Amino acid sequence: MTSRRAFLKTASAAALAAPVVHPFLAWAADPSAISVPGKDGMIVRSYRFLDLETPVEFMTDWITPVNHFFVRNHMFEPAKIEASTWKVTIGGEVEKPLTLTLADLQKVPIDSVTNAMECAGNGRSMQNPKVPGVQWGKGAVGNAKFSGPSLKVLLEKARVKDTGKHVMFRGLDEVPGKVPPFIRSIPIEKAIDADTLVATHMNGAPLTQHHGFPARVITPGWAGAASCKWLTEITVLDKPADGNFMIPGYRMPNSPVKPGEAVKPEDTHSVTGLSVKSLIAAPSDGAKLKPGRHEIKGVAWAGEADITKVEISTDGGSSWNLAELGKDHARYAWRLWSYSWKPAKSGDYVILSRATDSQGRIQPEAAVWNPSGYLYNAYDQVKVYVQA
Amino acid sequence: MFRLSAGVLTLALICAVGIAEAASSPNEQLPAGPMQEKAGAACSSCHEARIIVQQRLSKAAWTREMDKMVKWGAEVDPQDRDALIDYFSANFGPDQPAYLAPKSTSLSVARSRSKGKH
Repeated sequence: MTSRRAFLKTASAAALAAPVVHPFLAWAADPSAISVPGKDGMIVRSYRFLDLETPVEFMTDWITPVNHFFVRNHMFEPAKIEASTWKVTIGGEVEKPLTLTLADLQKVPIDSVTNAMECAGNGRSMQNPKVPGVQWGKGAVGNAKFSGPSLKVLLEKARVKDTGKHVMFRGLDEVPGKVPPFIRSIPIEKAIDADTLVATHMNGAPLTQHHGFPARVITPGWAGAASCKWLTEITVLDKPADGNFMIPGYRMPNSPVKPGEAVKPEDTHSVTGLSVKSLIAAPSDGAKLKPGRHEIKGVAWAGEADITKVEISTDGGSSWNLAELGKDHARYAWRLWSYSWKPAKSGDYVILSRATDSQGRIQPEAAVWNPSGYLYNAYDQVKVYVQA
Repeated sequence: MFRLSAGVLTLALICAVGIAEAASSPNEQLPAGPMQEKAGAACSSCHEARIIVQQRLSKAAWTREMDKMVKWGAEVDPQDRDALIDYFSANFGPDQPAYLAPKSTSLSVARSRSKGKH
């Protein structure tokens, strides 16, 4: 629906109809709800190209349902791909270049990984000074079970040469204007990790259009940009892929920079694994709470590391209390947490959450500012009022 | 009499179609101003106005964005460049209140239509 062709069709229909809309009829239209089949109650950061954010209040389940899973597109989605004619090539630094169909992929043993996928730019709108890009709030993150052949098994069939050091992915996104194609690569070590997949399924069902049907890469624990959708080409390279989305795109400064300062590309490195981070799903920011006991709850994840604890402060950071971690856990997945809170008196409260991971990383009070606003992971915060 | 009723009916039908299109029109608009039309023409072949109206950038940052987008295919008359940067900076500077994004609904256009009619 958001392919370039589909948009042009919709746009002409709207242009034809526009002159007959009378202002007095405006009450009948809902100006804020945008029809996106298969996606409900999502925050529309962009309709064309489609970027949808999950409201943080939805993050109360371990597995994010597909209709509530965020969508990040850099380009127009391809027109519907026919499963029967789709194929993916494996080439470059390999002994035996391959072309595989969906039927070929289905003959390979299936692996699954439950992955907390987060867009590198999640939380960008909270950077100060402001930086350009999709102004994500908190919810460009979700946790889903992805299934498909391990990329390692496919690369073994193609027999990677000793010169193969990086693996590049290309999707079927439609590129407008002179926009550079969305091509990125990952190091061979991550590509041959048994958990890196060419996924065909999400939460037990075939991938939907918005999530990369019929096959996408899943590079677990890494920023979403490493998980190419609508996969059509896998090329083994002797060095990282070139192009805008490797340099200057998706790079972090090697050392902290003053907020607002420009950074030279040679002083940066590629974004890879995700940071340690927690979010508060309930209560909502601005909520008015009845007196009595309340459950503060949310999610926490740490990319390739495991969450070891989540702490909650209800006094603006003066004291911290351990939250209880949910029973569901898996490597790369997010962890639910909850904390039972009985406010001593009525009034305004600032609730904070911070996570710690198995690498000893602690979610910081302030995120590291960088020119593209990547990997924002400051303490999460909601303000509530407890009634008398 | 019959002809009048038919006319009213036709008008009602046209209005109903109008409502349906208004309800399902997904694209954000750029604010009024001398460069509104040219900004729309330069940007809208690749993305909708919502990508622009949610930014809160300094003039220096808008200048960098403008030059990047021209490199990426935005058709901008060099004579309009500075005025476009001024237009974006004036409307979407760091001090403007945050943009409030709409929500999605999985209701199809067809159901929006019937909703719109009642």
